[in-house]
Amino acid sequence: MKKILKLLSLIVVFTLILSGCSQKAQNSEGSSSMEEGSSPEELEESTKDESVEVEATSKTEPLTLNLEGGDWGYPTPYAHYARGPGIYKMKLIFDSMMETGEEGLIPFLAEKWDIEDSGRSYTFYIRKGVQWHDGEALSAEDIKFSFDYYKEYPPVMDDLARSKKDYIEEINVIDKYTLNIKIKSPDATLLERFGTARIIPKHIWEKVEDPLKFQGPEAVIGSGPYKLADYSKEQGAYKFEAFRDYWGYKPAAATLRFIPVSDPILAFENADIDIVAITPDILSKYQEDPSYKIVESPAFWGYRILLNMEARPELKEKALRQAIAYGIDRDELIDKVARGAAKIASPGFLPIEHSFYNDNIKKYDFNLEKSRSLLDGKEYEFSLLTGNSNAEVRIAELIKLNFEKIGIKLRITSLDMKSRDAAIKSGEYELVLNGHGLWGTDPDKLRIFYNSEFQETPGYLNEEIDALSNEQLVCTYPQKRKEIIFELQEVIAEEIPMLTLYNTSGFTVYRPEKYDGWTHVFNHHEITHNKISYLIME
Amino acid sequence: MSKIVAIKRFTLVGKLSLFFIVLLLFIGIFAPCLSSYTHNTPSGESLEAPSRDHLLGTDDLGIDLLSQIFYGARLSLIIGFSTSILAGLGGAILGVLSGYYGGLTDKIIMRLTDIMIALPDLPMMILLGAFFGPSIKNIVLVLVLFSWTGPARIIRSKVISIKKEAYIVMAKSYDASFYHLLKTHFLPEIMPILAITTIKITSRAIVAEAGLSFLGLGDPTSKSWGLILNHAINFKGIYFTEYWKWWVIAPLFSMMMLILSISYVSRDLEKVLNEKL
Repeated sequence: MKKILKLLSLIVVFTLILSGCSQKAQNSEGSSSMEEGSSPEELEESTKDESVEVEATSKTEPLTLNLEGGDWGYPTPYAHYARGPGIYKMKLIFDSMMETGEEGLIPFLAEKWDIEDSGRSYTFYIRKGVQWHDGEALSAEDIKFSFDYYKEYPPVMDDLARSKKDYIEEINVIDKYTLNIKIKSPDATLLERFGTARIIPKHIWEKVEDPLKFQGPEAVIGSGPYKLADYSKEQGAYKFEAFRDYWGYKPAAATLRFIPVSDPILAFENADIDIVAITPDILSKYQEDPSYKIVESPAFWGYRILLNMEARPELKEKALRQAIAYGIDRDELIDKVARGAAKIASPGFLPIEHSFYNDNIKKYDFNLEKSRSLLDGKEYEFSLLTGNSNAEVRIAELIKLNFEKIGIKLRITSLDMKSRDAAIKSGEYELVLNGHGLWGTDPDKLRIFYNSEFQETPGYLNEEIDALSNEQLVCTYPQKRKEIIFELQEVIAEEIPMLTLYNTSGFTVYRPEKYDGWTHVFNHHEITHNKISYLIME
Repeated sequence: MSKIVAIKRFTLVGKLSLFFIVLLLFIGIFAPCLSSYTHNTPSGESLEAPSRDHLLGTDDLGIDLLSQIFYGARLSLIIGFSTSILAGLGGAILGVLSGYYGGLTDKIIMRLTDIMIALPDLPMMILLGAFFGPSIKNIVLVLVLFSWTGPARIIRSKVISIKKEAYIVMAKSYDASFYHLLKTHFLPEIMPILAITTIKITSRAIVAEAGLSFLGLGDPTSKSWGLILNHAINFKGIYFTEYWKWWVIAPLFSMMMLILSISYVSRDLEKVLNEKL
């Protein structure tokens, strides 16, 4: 019995020791393997860090700017998404003859230009020594090629608009750095159109027959200050690197990274991103702290409701449209949805801060009585399509509540942003709420939004609006043009073919210690969309 | 009678949970009478902190949160119960048919359940939700489509095992009809199992609806708990304000309490019924 006990206890002790040993052995194995697994990478990283530090101490530190990501398409003129964040990423790669500056257009690829023959001949003098990202030289040939290419294949942002009705008589390359464009009739908007059309390299694109599908490293060779280094559609991440041989203004950052974030403000707090748009609710948090800088955006971004008169012909009645316009409480929308950071949109479209804004037009203050008397007891039911962002759904909800009071029932459906944009394009809606930028650009926007030629409001035709909007286009006397545009706004406000709601004037906050070059331009709301924000201007 | 006995044997937590569900049911039914404010029109300033006027404060539009929570209870329960009843009933019918008749019927129904089980349900729900358009009816339909397989399989195996019992074979030999067998022999055996599986579907449906609403795929103007939460969390920088203290916590807490209660009740029910079996 004793022997058995002894044996048992021995076995127990032995197993304990063994297990202890094996555990230790396992542990040491585990840790060593872990070290082995990670060591090369870690080493590499640490050496990298060191080299960066060495560089930083010897020269100025290479700046990396981090911004909010999201997939906005491949940044070529044909594959980016048709909204601000997609447009400006493409613009970082592709230069144009002019860019928008703080006060107006500033010369970029064109050093100077002459307009002669009472607005029928434009001569551009192209900058010398400009290189494409692949080292080839840029010449006037490339500009002629780009303009002709856009005629055949209109890009996403078709500023030139040559494809439908060509207004250019001929484009002549006078010498390597001089270009002359002769046009059929004078046009007040042409200089800006020519100036801001993106220039693409002839030696690459002349072989491309399907530009919509053309992607890859060759497709993103431009002459702009930044090169695309990396793009992940799935993650919505971009990486841009400064173009070392850029002709002029120095790129401000060595690297621009667009990283996907779930909550931008949280990401800004963690210093994952360097600049963020905020609401007035948290303004005070940053106001007192000197390490932050806050800028207010000009109100050139806004919401409007489009009315599809083909789908619902009763909307062709002016009284109904005016009744709807009186039934929207814009102050409440601004108060509750925009949290106060917005301005009432003009019924004549051009925002209050626009240099062509006419204040002397019919206004639609919230007035249920007027609305009811205009409706005259008739009742309607419409469906209102919105995007699925919080603000859009909330706007729709508030509008619905007020419309119920005047006898208009709204059915609200919400789609994701891209499906909603597609529905607008194909005209599959009755009423649609759309929020977008570019309200501050040339007032020719009135022609594109209200002239029946463009059918922005499907089924709508007003001869006076058509006539006035065509007249301002060919008027080359600035003062006279302004008068026509003022009159146009009056007619539009009376007719109210679409409902403008409000223009946001949000706040943007950043850390000036890291980068202080953020600059607003004269016609755009968003500071991060401006090319000059990423350049050191003298 | 037997049901009351079953409840008596619940644990304390189970009883409390059942009480909570019944209370919520009551709130859901009488939602409009219980709150002095409406759930869909503004009744105060936007984002008021909880006070005597608005016990849970208001949201960004100035709508009273308490009445939204009350009304949301109704939606959650409607969605939860209608999904579970439809899925339970449909699943049970298919399960009985498949188990009783066997052969080709069984093969077809079982392969169908295999397909439904193999399909990833959340992505499919998102897809169908987007395709059919957001409304409560559609959400229930989509959820039913993905929930009937559980009861169907369990009921089928139960029916198969009962079918082989001597008394059923005997009854059959006396030419008992399917309907008679179902009524007198199958149903009493099936009911307890069916009850447990359907209750589980209820909580799953409530969570799924909240999830879909949270992703913005629900009815954008409904006031379900998921949607209240969605609006709150998508409010820019909410965690840097004090609004989250009432706007986020109220719907979150209600939802958690309901789900917990349902799972406690189903746990207790399972225990009690298993003893009986």
